[in-house]
Amino acid sequence: MLFNSLTFVVFFVAVVSLYWSIRSWKLRKNLLVAASYVFYGAWNPPFAALLFSTTAMDFWLGHQIGKAKDRHRKRRWLVASVCMNLSMLGFFKYGNFLLQNFQWLLARVGIIYQPPHLDILLPVGISFYTFHSLSYTLDIYRGVLQPTRSLRDFVLAVSFFPQLVAGPIVRAGDFLPQLQHPPRLKTNQFFWGLALMTLGLFEKIVLADTLLSGSADRVFGYPGPLVTLDSWAGVLAFAGQIFFDFAGYSITAIGAALTLGFHLKDNFRFPYAAIGFSDFWRRWHISLSTFLRDYLYIPLGGNQVRPFRAALNLVIVMFLGGLWHGAAWTFVVWGLLHGSYLVIERVLRIFFEQKPWAGTLPVRILCGFATYGAVCIAWVFFRASDFTIASRMLTGMFGGHPNGDAILTTRELLQIGIVTFGVIGLHWSMREESFETTVMRLPAWAITAIGSIMAFAIIFTQGTSNAFIYFQF
Amino acid sequence: MRSSISSFRERLRLPRLFFRRPSREEQIHGGPPLEFERPIPVAPWRGIAVVITIVVIAATTAWEIYCRSIGYGPTLNDNEDLWTLRRRAVTPESIVIIGDSRAWFDCDLDELQKGLGKRPIQLALAGSMTFPVLADLANDQSFHGTIICSFVPMLFFAPPGTPPAERAEKTVKRFHNQTPAQWASEYLAMSLEKHVAFLKPDDLSLEAYLNRLPIPNRPGAQVPPTFPPYFDVVDHERRARMWEKCAEPGSELAKRTQQIWIPLFTPPPPPSYIPKDVFMAKMKDGIEKRFADTVAAVDKIRARGGKIVFVRFPHTGGLKELEDKISPRQQNWDPLLQMTHAPGIYYSDFPELSGFNCPEWSHLSAGDSVEFTKRLVPHLREVLQM
Repeated sequence: MLFNSLTFVVFFVAVVSLYWSIRSWKLRKNLLVAASYVFYGAWNPPFAALLFSTTAMDFWLGHQIGKAKDRHRKRRWLVASVCMNLSMLGFFKYGNFLLQNFQWLLARVGIIYQPPHLDILLPVGISFYTFHSLSYTLDIYRGVLQPTRSLRDFVLAVSFFPQLVAGPIVRAGDFLPQLQHPPRLKTNQFFWGLALMTLGLFEKIVLADTLLSGSADRVFGYPGPLVTLDSWAGVLAFAGQIFFDFAGYSITAIGAALTLGFHLKDNFRFPYAAIGFSDFWRRWHISLSTFLRDYLYIPLGGNQVRPFRAALNLVIVMFLGGLWHGAAWTFVVWGLLHGSYLVIERVLRIFFEQKPWAGTLPVRILCGFATYGAVCIAWVFFRASDFTIASRMLTGMFGGHPNGDAILTTRELLQIGIVTFGVIGLHWSMREESFETTVMRLPAWAITAIGSIMAFAIIFTQGTSNAFIYFQF
Repeated sequence: MRSSISSFRERLRLPRLFFRRPSREEQIHGGPPLEFERPIPVAPWRGIAVVITIVVIAATTAWEIYCRSIGYGPTLNDNEDLWTLRRRAVTPESIVIIGDSRAWFDCDLDELQKGLGKRPIQLALAGSMTFPVLADLANDQSFHGTIICSFVPMLFFAPPGTPPAERAEKTVKRFHNQTPAQWASEYLAMSLEKHVAFLKPDDLSLEAYLNRLPIPNRPGAQVPPTFPPYFDVVDHERRARMWEKCAEPGSELAKRTQQIWIPLFTPPPPPSYIPKDVFMAKMKDGIEKRFADTVAAVDKIRARGGKIVFVRFPHTGGLKELEDKISPRQQNWDPLLQMTHAPGIYYSDFPELSGFNCPEWSHLSAGDSVEFTKRLVPHLREVLQM
């Protein structure tokens, strides 16, 4: 079920009304479990069984890890959990990709092998709920979480419908404690949740789908060479689209959870005002970057090892982060590019961080725009479906097609320009504070006006229920 | 002393007019790092929600009144989900109408039911290439019914990757992959569309208004084609009827629509990145492949006992002149019938089917579509031996 669909509106109103009208906390939790499975099953009912089976397995494995007396046994159960989750992910998401690459490798040594094409349907959000579930066994192993006794609570922690299919990646350790006591209906929290949902849907329906996605699709789908202006405009359009699409989903999820009395952490914090790439990853898809940091980067040794090894760790983490996004080498290149950016930044910091001019305003602005530009270059690999398109786009962006075609209309260029400058300006204006602080500074009439405009714009736009980009991951 | 960073932040903030300084109490809640309990900004949220609700209801009502005042009325939107509902209604022996907007506008289901003894299912898709739907029916092992297939050369031979091909492919794909949520959303949308006039994404949405902004383009910019404005109403069986305003002889809307068809039906110049001769050879190969694929699909349907008839529906005025010039029947209609060995009805071959006026050159008015279908039925019965 998509947040931007009529079915969700009806579903959400029904769930919220029922939820707050029931007094028993157990019944309310049962209702949320049922609602979450209806929400997920509305895509493909059989996949709800898959979701339940992985959840139940991790529940059991979590208990085994908790019960195990020695480190060795704990590790064995953890390995079972990791293998189970990753093999599920591997089969559904990477099956064909692995076969194709295996075929390519065999061909290099002269063996012609034609693998069968596995007609596998990717369960929506499998990358997200696998991580939700995996965080439970990992945290029990790390000793930061006790296994829960309630299967129902764990099922709800993994499948809670606002965050189920596209994040934020909510760790069981963050969610399970919230199931201990029933939340009270707080008026301000409830309406703030609705306000966040309105903002999220506005970002998705109006900004991402209406103002940007068409131009990005046209540029990346154009089979010929494009002039520099159109190439950059297409990339900037995609940079805006993916932010508003994914941040819009996250904000809607956070808002929906708040209306039910649950607190999810931020997933974005004004990323296009990042100064440097480590700053960018502290602001972009925070739940994924902290997941990778805690469960991969630190166990690999993090930065507590020799500089070369620390750099390698960064590249490994970003390589896997890229692969997490999709089974294609373009995503791997995207991840490796970000890994390289982080390494280069670290080297530059060694040489220049202590220089007196390093913290000056012009240098910070310059670094901010360099970060944004490099992030946009990486987006080319993220959006392009193959390297031919990516290379054509990059050639166009750097003036390699002076006689290329100009396909975007002036109106599209204006839309991209206005939204891009708007988002960068807003991110810079709020980069040092939280969104909530900014809202508190607004007078009530301004909040009302902005809220009314956004809500009416959603109705006026008449969205077409385009899937969120991150559903495919 | 204020740091340069904080003064920079001050300068970049939104205009001061909108802000007040947060109180001490508010500052405790706001600002990173966020703790586990999310901060809730202090504001009169209940009052804000009430006012927003009133404003949005008022604005939406005003918008609905305005749309009705300029002639729009409630009608269903023809999308993949509505098509899927009709596709699901196809039984092994159904009579199915496929093709483009001419079959969609010009076939009256009541008259066909009276004449053929069975209510046909309307699966024609406006502005689409026919082949994906034909192939889908051919691959449906249970189907051995009758197909009435409209033929418009520019759409029938549309190359892969073009909007007509993508529309048909996307629609067929939706039929095979429609989720329960999409199915439910369509029923909810239909119940709204029956009563609300402004729900017309192609015409009355933000995107449609942005597309219509009169902003001049760069020289050489490849501007996407303009599509005709709203001029039809659609019911739950996907029966399209021309809007009365468009059907009025010489109406402004009809004239405007006529001028939209001309560029849409004019073949685009070869793209700059492919040599012209390579492009023309590619187009020729594409047409030959489409002929071959069509023959294969027709053979599959026939092998199961199914029937198919190709129909050329009326077109008039400048559009007829253009179509006859760029795709004469000797080059496409005649070979299609020869290769598929299927019967065909070309409207201009029969005096009783000729002489209809298409107000906007491409489709019949609602009234004429009934009369045309009535006259078409005997021909269908004859060629289909019904």
